[in-house]
Amino acid sequence: MAGNPRDKYCIVGVGETEYSRASGRTTRALGAEAIRNAMNDAGLTPDQVDGMLSYHGGDSTPSTSIQYDLGIRPNFYMDCSGGGSSTEALVGLAIGAIEAGMCDVVAIFRSMNGYSNVRIGGTGARASAPIGGLDLMKRPYGLISAVQQFAYTFTRHMAEYGVKSEDLAAIKAAHSNHASNNPKALMKHRVTVDDVMNSRWIIRPVAHLLDCCLETDNATCVIVTSAERARDLKHKPIYIKGVQGRGTKPGGDFHYQHGPISRVAGHYIAPRIFDLAGVKHEDVDLTGCYDAFTYTVLLQFEDYGWCEKGEGKDYVTSGAINLGGRRPNNVSGGHLCEGYTHGMNMVIENVRQLRGTVDDYCPGATEGDHTFDYSEGGCRQVPDAKISMNMGWGTPAVGSSLIMGNVLS
Amino acid sequence: MPNYTYRGITLSIPENDSEYKGYFEAAAEGRLVVKKCSDCGLLRGEPGPGCPWCTSLNWEWQQVSGKGTIYSYQVVAHTVIPAFRDSTPFAIVLVELDEQRGQPTEFDGLRITGNLVDTDFNMEKEANVGIGKRVEVAFQPVEDGFMLPQWRLIDEPDQGFTWSHEVPEG
Repeated sequence: MAGNPRDKYCIVGVGETEYSRASGRTTRALGAEAIRNAMNDAGLTPDQVDGMLSYHGGDSTPSTSIQYDLGIRPNFYMDCSGGGSSTEALVGLAIGAIEAGMCDVVAIFRSMNGYSNVRIGGTGARASAPIGGLDLMKRPYGLISAVQQFAYTFTRHMAEYGVKSEDLAAIKAAHSNHASNNPKALMKHRVTVDDVMNSRWIIRPVAHLLDCCLETDNATCVIVTSAERARDLKHKPIYIKGVQGRGTKPGGDFHYQHGPISRVAGHYIAPRIFDLAGVKHEDVDLTGCYDAFTYTVLLQFEDYGWCEKGEGKDYVTSGAINLGGRRPNNVSGGHLCEGYTHGMNMVIENVRQLRGTVDDYCPGATEGDHTFDYSEGGCRQVPDAKISMNMGWGTPAVGSSLIMGNVLS
Repeated sequence: MPNYTYRGITLSIPENDSEYKGYFEAAAEGRLVVKKCSDCGLLRGEPGPGCPWCTSLNWEWQQVSGKGTIYSYQVVAHTVIPAFRDSTPFAIVLVELDEQRGQPTEFDGLRITGNLVDTDFNMEKEANVGIGKRVEVAFQPVEDGFMLPQWRLIDEPDQGFTWSHEVPEG
């Protein structure tokens, strides 16, 4: 690999809006608030932010509008097309833009009214809109939503490796326990494995309603700059140890023509990211594993090597992914419980975790004073967290990854 | 081809659709076709412009037997498409065609999506869907000049890896 940027770049600011199902305002208003919150978090003024990156699926507001709203004059910006796994990829592109001398401080944002305006799967009238091209091979058969696009992989994996609905439900239960200690979470109540099993079916045999994430109105932002520039900012810098963007399986959209279809992009990304970051699995204290559906979590755990192929069901039910376990996952509640953001909230959570000041219910949380009592309505800080890893999911064929740490290697 | 309407959805297949127009033109004649590379001779499951194995842009349509095996599937219990609501639960299957199975590598195959239907083109019973079941293409008349390829169970022994889920009661 060419030059390794390990520890040379940092995330210095994070921010978001409320997670809701009725924002009552535009993606422009949401985006401006999230970026402003992240600038304030970092201690940056608008004239000090000179790069912008965003991602969208035709459901957001361009950077150039928000530039006016916040008085930011970029030396570089791009609005990229993309959903899940974009966050980590754009962190990498921000490093590239800074390294290329195009700008110094990059705000990466995602803004969407994912419930009140443009719902991800397409519903009602949108689902009946005229179609052409690839959709001709899918929609006439009733195949449209995200979980359906992934379901052939899920079902085949379930068949090959004996995964049960109960195993998947354990992921939702774990994330809901985490969300119960997150004042921002859209769905704060704890659910059990039985609650998931008793929720109505969406796609058999792979997804009950509670196996699916929460469509959400929100905007999110992370700010990337060099370690040198980070020195005089508000928080201790969270170093980027390694990043991989949009690694892809053979066949891309048509990966199911090749196979094995129970394999996901993490299989190809894992060796690169661990090598780049100089980190081993056992060094990682917490993970952010993209939970559009419970099954996306299980598949990525296997193919990133947290367990052997086929043993994801054992890993997710072992207690390892729960707060208090060996390597808690999606400590904010993730997409399943905090809210669906196309991945950014899991990076934001890990930045706050590595700072040691995660915003739970502990009275001294902002000063890093945590009780580590993980009962409902309590703490969600992972003790002494030093290294985190995010695993973004686009499709079974597409993924990104980001390893961060709070000390230099 | 003109536009066609199926279950309230407009299917648009313009003259310059170099991927799917030929596929549906053949289907309208009751023939299932895939693209064949004119240079290396390999078939491909997705009718794209290039050969995934030799990059050749030269291709021709080739008729296949229309028989295959269910490779994976999903049963839609809840749909967001209004015109499918009366049909739930229904199965969508990924069928691996008999041609070129396991070629050129062991995991490769020609895989095509469709509904699993009965002799009247109603959705097949959920209990009858499963990986490894043998199926044959059936062309569902939609409009004059347009038929939709669907899949029907055939009376042949299951093939290769087999599995089916437990159908909930009620």
